Amino acid sequence: MAFEPVLMKHVGRPGSTSLAAYRADGGYQGAARALRMTPDDLVELVKKANLRGRGGAGFPAGLKWSFLPPDRKVTYLCVNADESEPPTFSNRVLIEHDPHMLLEGILIAGYATRATTAYIYIRGEFAEQFHILQRALDEAYAAGYFGRNILGSGYDLECLIHRGAGAYICGEETGLIESLEGKRGWPRIKPPYPAVQGLFGQPTVVNNVETLACLPHILTRGLDWWLSIGTADSKGPKMYCISGPVNRPGCYEAPLGLSCRELIYGPDFGGGMRDGLKVKAVFPGGLSMGVLRGDLFPKAPPGVIDPKADYDELDCRLDFEDPRNYGLLGLGTAAAVVIPQTVDLRDVLVSVARFFAVESCGQCTQCREGTHWVYQIAQRIRAGAGRLIDLDIIEELTASMGMISGLSICGLPDGAAWALRTLVRKFRREFEERIAHQEPEAPLRRARGTNLAAYQLPVSHGRARAYPGGTFYLVEADHSNE
Amino acid sequence: MPRIIVDGRQIECRPDIPVLQAALEAGLNVPHYCYHPGLSVVASCRLCLMEVKVRDPRTGAMVWSPKLVPSCQTRVADGLEVRFDSPAVRANQKQVMEYYLLNHPLDCPICDKAGECYLQDYAEQFGPASSRMIEDKLKNPKKDVGPRTLLYQDRCVLCTRCVRFAAEIAGTGELAVVNRGSRCEIDVFPGRPLDNPLQGNVVDLCPVGALLDKDFLFKQRVWLLRSARSVSPVDSSGQTIWIDYNEHGVHRIRPRFNQRVNRWWISDEARFGWKYIYRADRLNRPLVRQGARLEPRPWEELPEILRSVLHQAAGQDGGAALAAVLSPMMSCEEAWLLARFVRQLAPGAALVTGHLPVVGQDQTFPGGFVIKAEKCPNRRGVETIIRHFGQPHLSFSEFLTRAAEDRYRAAYVVGGYPDEWVSDGVAAALAKVQFLVVHDLFPSRLEATAAVQIPGAAWAEREGSFMNCDGLLQPFERAVPPPEGVKADGQFFWELAGNRGLFQAAQVRAQMADHMPKFAEVFTPRELPRYAH
Repeated sequence: MAFEPVLMKHVGRPGSTSLAAYRADGGYQGAARALRMTPDDLVELVKKANLRGRGGAGFPAGLKWSFLPPDRKVTYLCVNADESEPPTFSNRVLIEHDPHMLLEGILIAGYATRATTAYIYIRGEFAEQFHILQRALDEAYAAGYFGRNILGSGYDLECLIHRGAGAYICGEETGLIESLEGKRGWPRIKPPYPAVQGLFGQPTVVNNVETLACLPHILTRGLDWWLSIGTADSKGPKMYCISGPVNRPGCYEAPLGLSCRELIYGPDFGGGMRDGLKVKAVFPGGLSMGVLRGDLFPKAPPGVIDPKADYDELDCRLDFEDPRNYGLLGLGTAAAVVIPQTVDLRDVLVSVARFFAVESCGQCTQCREGTHWVYQIAQRIRAGAGRLIDLDIIEELTASMGMISGLSICGLPDGAAWALRTLVRKFRREFEERIAHQEPEAPLRRARGTNLAAYQLPVSHGRARAYPGGTFYLVEADHSNE
Repeated sequence: MPRIIVDGRQIECRPDIPVLQAALEAGLNVPHYCYHPGLSVVASCRLCLMEVKVRDPRTGAMVWSPKLVPSCQTRVADGLEVRFDSPAVRANQKQVMEYYLLNHPLDCPICDKAGECYLQDYAEQFGPASSRMIEDKLKNPKKDVGPRTLLYQDRCVLCTRCVRFAAEIAGTGELAVVNRGSRCEIDVFPGRPLDNPLQGNVVDLCPVGALLDKDFLFKQRVWLLRSARSVSPVDSSGQTIWIDYNEHGVHRIRPRFNQRVNRWWISDEARFGWKYIYRADRLNRPLVRQGARLEPRPWEELPEILRSVLHQAAGQDGGAALAAVLSPMMSCEEAWLLARFVRQLAPGAALVTGHLPVVGQDQTFPGGFVIKAEKCPNRRGVETIIRHFGQPHLSFSEFLTRAAEDRYRAAYVVGGYPDEWVSDGVAAALAKVQFLVVHDLFPSRLEATAAVQIPGAAWAEREGSFMNCDGLLQPFERAVPPPEGVKADGQFFWELAGNRGLFQAAQVRAQMADHMPKFAEVFTPRELPRYAH
């Protein structure tokens, strides 16, 4: 059975944002069906569908809803449209082309959680998307899909759109809640979890745009259809983004479990690399999940590359389980960015480190100081003043930032740690080679130019030498001739 | 009382407190910056992380969780087992301390906080020996955040204690964190400086040298200071304080924890309201009227002069022509000594509660802190003592009315107020008293009519006890000696009553307790755990 896209079926059709077009294609049927069910049945249905959050962490949505205290009076539904993970733009595509699918999802989720008000927290930079969504919301209000006594069911739901101010951290659910409350978007300590005490101190559910957009289809097409898509633990369709020098960069829908290679080379997806470039590395799930090797490397070091038994990590299936087997944190946003062979990974390291250094909210010490320090080290390595010990320091710092979660309040440093650590670990040879081919004495000379303390440093006095066998070792400086 | 196990040691702790608090109270040195028992928990410094024993879902055995947990955020529960003395916890502490010093200017030699700085202490106790950073440090600005406070942002560890204090305790919320990541700074809003009646506390709260008191800036190294346990005389609430002093005098005043009154805080009034003790016009020698002028006389002659004149006055009108005005600035011991002396001379002598300075209304802050309108420390104590000695006792205004009617031949008036208190009315009424003894800190209009003028000592130069507005009796120690030429009030009253040797407040209090059981016990606040801050 060929896969039929549902989330993106209206993408690219003219006038797809209008209510009329959406209704003509069976729009709001799912919501109508949902409103005839009881909220508890709806939660059960979503639990059975094993709808896992599309925002990054993959937490089951139905389970999240069931954490709400049963005797609550007020419930808020927050829609996380603060899509700011680098290379990710699937929510943007959804909002731009099919805002009513999101609104229908909000209505269904709102009813299931007995929410009184839904807040859509939309990324500040999404200016045009905000206006599209606002127009759609006005239409939906006029047609009675929001407001009082929706479709005669007696259910009331208000929906408001709130624009962010351009902070990555406000995509974290408690950061989002703080920001929505008008405060600084600093993530809260948990517990209490938002389901118990969230927005304005009331029980709150925070769901991603794509998660909610799945709901109408589960209702109209049924559980069996849904469960027939995807892999064992990852059900349903998923929007994959691909960017970088591929022939067809963009957003594509596929069942969960698409392999990274398929995403890059598949004719329906990336369509292969542009200009015959080779893949060096792929960040398959947004930056935060870590990097996959796209080049060939011996599987079991120490070893010599055998082109016949070549190995890369592109066979990683992009679902909620498989990325862990490749040393990644998880699926993330399923937005892959491809780095071709021509790119100097030192540049990539700087870009990645800069993103997290700039976006760290500054609350927890490791994240605040660690991300910035790694950024500084990365800049120095790129400037040709790297030391071998820098790579070890980066690995150590990432370990302190959040290789095991829980060292900080939120997940941002975890993401930073996995991205930076996998990059430095998996491509250590390249970094070592770059450092080995730096101008001799550059690191210390440069460091001493800025910081006299560098004279005292117990760092590598020697230079890394390229060793033909493929590994690197440190040569103690020979001072006898000086 | 829940029992928890910390580092293999069983600890009995108060219920519903964070594990960190319990560990500190048990005497453990757990490093922490953002946690303060008086403020909300933010768990952002990540220095107090600990290991917790949890049940392994597969085997059911209790194992150490690989995940570190903030001890400030975890409440104690019976049977909870945690440890701080583990490689993972120590490694985290070490790494976090390295992070804290990355952009720190290491300017301890010119930092006021040096010596009582938790960045210094923790770096030495828990941090690595040196930093591995060879990059340029971020240079953050120094900022003038308020009329009394400076912010050296480059020393800040962003614990946000000051921000939370301004928001939660003072309720004014002048401080905020601006910018993101390592560029985060504490700042005030434009045109809204840190200027509230409690703002000085942010300087004490700051665990490092970021927030500094302009008043104390570059005045003393803290290791040259000694601290005396004292009670603030600025209002009737009885805020307990530390007077930091050395041989050069008083240098600053800090809050002393008091679970019944001021908790961890004091008002700016108490913090800065001690400067008067160094005013240049302090009275510094006893003067006795000789014709039109007041002439200096040695202290040794004073008791004799006073006793003879007051005795004479006591002999007239059955003693009703003698009055003693007991100032609410006096300690209980001094008031008792003077009242007893006067009543022994003349059982009919009037005992008067002195002038009560009241400014505005009581001011209550969102955190529960109260600044009292009554600006004297011991009204309650003086009134209790006067009541003990029985009638006749008068209020100050009644006394003035009678004095104006020329009913007193002799009066012993004690002042001791930091501000000018003798109004024209007071001066006019007291001018009618033939033999007026004025015992005060500063020259006043009474000088023109006083027969004897005795210099008093300020509260920091005396020992004794104050009874606050709620009847809490709190002792205070002497911090500095009185200025040259001045005798401490208690010592003078002691000698006036015919005693020899040194006046000792505790001894006098024991005597008082024989008559007034209220004075048998003083209230001493709980000491804070050694490693808490």
